[in-house]
Amino acid sequence: MSLRAYLQKMRGTTHGSPPRVGTQDILWSWLGSFLGIAVLALLGQAYFDSRDLPLMIGSFGASAVLVYGAVRSPLAQPRNLIGGHVLSAVVGVACWKLLHQQPWLAEAVAVATAIAVMHATRTLHPPGGATALIAVIGSPQIHDLGFLYVLMPATIGPAILLVVALLVNNIPQSRRYPEIWF
Amino acid sequence: MKSPNDENAAAGSGEQDPPELELCDEDILDAMRHIPGYLDISTEDFRAVYHLAHRHAVERLFGRIRARGLMHAGIPSLAPDMMLDEAARALVRSGYKSLPVVDGQGNVVGMLTETDFLRRLQADQFLELLLRLIDDSCEVTHRCHETPVSAAMTAPAISVGIDAGFREIMAAFRRHPGRSVPVLDEHGRVCGLLLRKDFLAAFSLAELP
Repeated sequence: MSLRAYLQKMRGTTHGSPPRVGTQDILWSWLGSFLGIAVLALLGQAYFDSRDLPLMIGSFGASAVLVYGAVRSPLAQPRNLIGGHVLSAVVGVACWKLLHQQPWLAEAVAVATAIAVMHATRTLHPPGGATALIAVIGSPQIHDLGFLYVLMPATIGPAILLVVALLVNNIPQSRRYPEIWF
Repeated sequence: MKSPNDENAAAGSGEQDPPELELCDEDILDAMRHIPGYLDISTEDFRAVYHLAHRHAVERLFGRIRARGLMHAGIPSLAPDMMLDEAARALVRSGYKSLPVVDGQGNVVGMLTETDFLRRLQADQFLELLLRLIDDSCEVTHRCHETPVSAAMTAPAISVGIDAGFREIMAAFRRHPGRSVPVLDEHGRVCGLLLRKDFLAAFSLAELP
């Protein structure tokens, strides 16, 4: 490829981004993500936090964008939502255990490998990258979980988001969820 | 009488697949506005998907069509020096409305069709011929007994290769009004007759919009 062609690609192909969604859609996205995150947070506060089991991690905020804000996206489907978090969590914990003496390396390897694994298993879910990274950056509490992190929060969390998505996203006539289960 | 077959015998190759409409960004963005919710696909990606999906659909609808599978094999052929009355008997025996005329080397030099007979007898339609028969049957007999096939046939014949697909067959039928085309094998010898009605029947018409 010539340098010219290489630089040419950086110009992009399309003018303007996809159109703004309707106001009703904005409201449903708001309601869905409010309920999904609220259920996670309430359950955490009421039960899990006191047992040193974190139920809320940052990557769930990103998952909420997809499962309540881009319902049709292949990235938001159940296979990706659950599979992406679970596999990335496995990768993240393994990277922490193997490479924690080199935190920079552990972080980079965790995210890069999580993406590769999600690609290979057709479970690409962008928040998975965050789930892998959080396993490495952690909090001491998260590091102490070890591979329990995969179950708690990385399986339970997205499972709760999924249940809320099924209940809320199918109420409005203009929405349906999921497109593909597996 | 028109003679639309004075073109090259081989089927045209410039024919395109069923045309694909080029979609501009505005077309796609307008479609996206009609679909509620956020679609995470760029217009460029959509175009790429559309283009490939279209190609796949064309292949699904037309790809199975091959001259080899549609033709009637083992058809009799006529010689250029045969007299027309003999040729007429051969046509009737074969049950086809036209047969290829093949020279000593096995090359197709033309097609002899029912229309060629009518033209030879200076009639445009069958009924016209019937009227003429009533008036003057000697004249008709004379024209058939003394005319060789080569003088009456439609030449050159528009033919298709045995591996011809949708495009080539379509092109062949668009280039002449005949109801059949001879199918040639790899060596240019006649190996079958492809009827227009079989070609039309081969389409999965139920799948078309």
